[in-house]
Order: sequence, then C-alpha cells, then structure tokens
Amino acid sequence: MQIQGKQMAQKTGAKRIEAPAIGRPRKTKFQADLAPAEDRAVRLLKEELQIASNTDFLSDALALFRWAVSERKLGHKIVSESASGERKILLFPRLERVAPDLALPRVEIKWTKRELESLAELASAREADGPTDVLIRAMRA
Amino acid sequence: MAILIRRLEEHDEVENFDCGDDPLNNYLKRHAWTNQEKISIGVTYVAIDEGAPRVVLGYFTLAMASVPRETFPKKYVRGLPHYDLPLVLMARLAVERRFAGRGLGRALISEALRVSLRAADEVGCRCIVTDAYRDRIGWYARYGFVPIEGAAESGPQKMFLDLRTVRAALGS
Repeated sequence: MQIQGKQMAQKTGAKRIEAPAIGRPRKTKFQADLAPAEDRAVRLLKEELQIASNTDFLSDALALFRWAVSERKLGHKIVSESASGERKILLFPRLERVAPDLALPRVEIKWTKRELESLAELASAREADGPTDVLIRAMRA
Repeated sequence: MAILIRRLEEHDEVENFDCGDDPLNNYLKRHAWTNQEKISIGVTYVAIDEGAPRVVLGYFTLAMASVPRETFPKKYVRGLPHYDLPLVLMARLAVERRFAGRGLGRALISEALRVSLRAADEVGCRCIVTDAYRDRIGWYARYGFVPIEGAAESGPQKMFLDLRTVRAALGS
C-alpha cells in the first residue's frame, strides 16, 4: 500500500526549485511503502476513527506526533491513566531524543564576567588561605 | 537541649518554621523535599532538638554545581584544571527566629562544611560557594568565606571558601 497526500498543486521540475505562487499554499506529496501488517493497521485505524482519506489520516497522526514532541521538549511525561487510576508512562525512544537534557537535574548559577574572573583567581590559587580561628573552633568542636 | 543535624525527612514539621525571611521559609516548606527526593538536585539538612525530633529549628541545603571551563575569561584559566570547575553550592542556610543567637548557625555551617569535605573526598571538588545576604557577609567572612567580586550592588554577594582551608581547620 502507498500512503499518499494530496497532489501537488504546482508541479516542479526534477531539480528545479520554484517559489510557491503567492496565495496558493504549496502541498507536498508524501509517499510511504508499508508492510502488510502496517497496511492492515492503517486500514483498521481509519475504520475505527472514521477517517476517509489517507491525507486526513496523516494529518491527524502528524498533529498527535507534533503534540507529543512538544510535550517532551518541555520535559513533560506523557501518561495514560485508567479508570482505576493505574498509570502508564509512554517511553518512545525517538521522543526521548528531544528531551535528554531536561531529564537531567542540574543547578545553574548565574555569573557575571567579573565574578568569573574573581572566582578563577580564587580557585587557581596555589595555596589556600589559612583557616580563621572561628573556623578552626567550629570544625574542631 | 541536644541538637542533632540530619537529612530532611518526609514527616518533619516545617510548616511553622520562621527565620524571618519569606524566601528561606518558603524554600523549606515548598521545595526542599521535592528537590531532595524527587528531582535530586539538592539535599537539605535540618537541625532538630532530640526532645522534639520532628520540629525543624534550622536548615541548610547543599547542591553540586560546576562552572564550564570555557566560560572563564581566557586570561584567567591558566591556573585551573583542564576541566569544568566543580563546586559545592551552599544554597540555603537559615535558623528559626526563636533560636537565633544560640550557636545554631555555627553548628549548621560547620556540618555543611563537613558534608562538603566528605563530598569532595568522594567525588572531587575544589571549593564551596554561597550567596550571602548583604547583612550576613561579615558572618560568613568569620568562617573564611571570601567575597567574589563583581556582584550587583543590591543583590546577594557570592562568597567563596577553598575546601583546603576547611581541611586545614580540621588539623588534617
């Protein structure tokens, strides 16, 4: 089976790029070769969802996928919850690619340029300052 | 009164904690537990009286942080290791108003420094940094914290303490 979007309104040459006509949004042809099992899954889903065309099917799937990506980009988890409260978290490897950093907890400190200079000077000192009497008493108490 | 300092626990009584500073009060009540147990970005240690072991009398929060090497001005990086600079951030330290002036702050900061030394021994770390309120700069300076120059005049003052200084204070 082939999934195919609407025909392009404007044909272009094989290696030629033309600007779309103003006021006439260009439509892109999308074609995919599906394995028989995937073909059956698509037909079944179209029936269940009462979707008539492959274009509408693709459009709805795209909307759902875009939403999922945007949620993971924000670091949000995608969860399904049953009537009894049982929760399942969607783990979809491709989606995890868009939110790897957000999953890592971290502490950020904002530094001014002068603070960084001062910190570098202090941290690179060959010898540290000696402890104050107050510090010695506190640490040895 | 026997003071004990330990990690914050889920059922500790924090709702009535009042150090006189709303951000410090709110951090303990709203964020400390989540940051410690759920997102693991900072650990809060609380001071309690053994006679009332759930009532928090003071606390501090520690977190690990680092400064990327490439953010330092080139002129100053020569003496630094060829890696990001790891540090302990003492993110909060507060004492319940009713117990101010009784040495609880000293007990908290010395424990914070001991924990920092242990962390440095285990995972490697050069220094401890804190944001001090302007009226507390002198108090931190007594323990050897040095102001990091370049802060805005009105905001908190970043302060630095080399962990070698703390180790020397222990006599080791």
